[in-house]
Amino acid sequence: MKKFLFMASALLLFAQNGQSQAVKAGEKLTYSASYNMSGLMTPLAQVTMETESVSTSKSTLLHLICEANTFSKWDSFFKIRDSYESYVNPTTLKSTLYKREILEGTYTKKEKYIFKNGTIECTVNKKNTPESRRAFRIRPGTQDVVATLYQVRNIDFSKMKPGQTKSFIVVFDEKEMSATVKYMGKETINAGPLGSKSCYKVSVGAKTDKLRGTDKNLIWLTADNKKVPALIKFSIPVGTGQLALTNAKGI
Amino acid sequence: MRKAFIVLSFIFALLGIVFVILPMGTLGFLPVGLSLLFGGLAFVKSEAADRSVPKYLLMVGGVLLLAVIVRVMMPDEVAKDTEMEQHKIESKQEDLKDLEELEAQ
Repeated sequence: MKKFLFMASALLLFAQNGQSQAVKAGEKLTYSASYNMSGLMTPLAQVTMETESVSTSKSTLLHLICEANTFSKWDSFFKIRDSYESYVNPTTLKSTLYKREILEGTYTKKEKYIFKNGTIECTVNKKNTPESRRAFRIRPGTQDVVATLYQVRNIDFSKMKPGQTKSFIVVFDEKEMSATVKYMGKETINAGPLGSKSCYKVSVGAKTDKLRGTDKNLIWLTADNKKVPALIKFSIPVGTGQLALTNAKGI
Repeated sequence: MRKAFIVLSFIFALLGIVFVILPMGTLGFLPVGLSLLFGGLAFVKSEAADRSVPKYLLMVGGVLLLAVIVRVMMPDEVAKDTEMEQHKIESKQEDLKDLEELEAQ
């Protein structure tokens, strides 16, 4: 279930250098995360993706927040309160600060990454483990999971042909990871509160054991300038599931 | 055969109770449906004077079916967590401090 909720909130892991066109402050997307149990989708948690503007004395940043919270009926059995946050440049979506806080049952983990001059200074706190601090160099263009989650929405899929891919570098769990996004064409799907929508179908692949199968981790982004992730289907070692859009504000 | 259907109906009814208690959603229809199916088959296979047990099993199955429907109809909500909300406020203040320090460097 841990892996499921991780993937539910962090499936769109892919970066692209460019200007922020689809993402702006004040957006809130809410999803119902369901897990496939014996062929039936069972709702487990609510996943939200929110953006807000944050000002420091010298600049204004975009605060990206992704949270996964189990529905109250599951809390007594396995409570999850995960949050992934990133402070990025509002124009380029380049990461400055990334934070991850995991609360899954009795397991807790906190990570903080500070992006500075081609290096990451990270602080990690795990349950029953002393705090660890280290710095490591990253390749140019490496982004955190949340920033890339939003950056994928800036890809111009209208200029891509089905089967065409883009490669990216994402940092997760103190490691850089190669990932690809494959454009698979257009499909019309039920996008919950947005109604029936024509969407870009995108397959996600990464060099990680957290994703399973080929073209089994899919994202449908609305085929307009917002590129709202309307539906996400995932396949991980412990099973399959999906995130269905239930509410969209400020888009 | 009648006895086998009764035993199966009983086992699936028990499983249905567990699924109703646990938040299994639509998955609860599976054991309850099977309990009703085997209960129905036991009822058909029974003599007219010997139908009380299958009848009770069908009644239990019906109640469980209603319970599953009610559970499925209930909206999924996330509990308000004031402790977590407070933590978020404090965490954001800490982030701003980090960002200010980073800009000052």
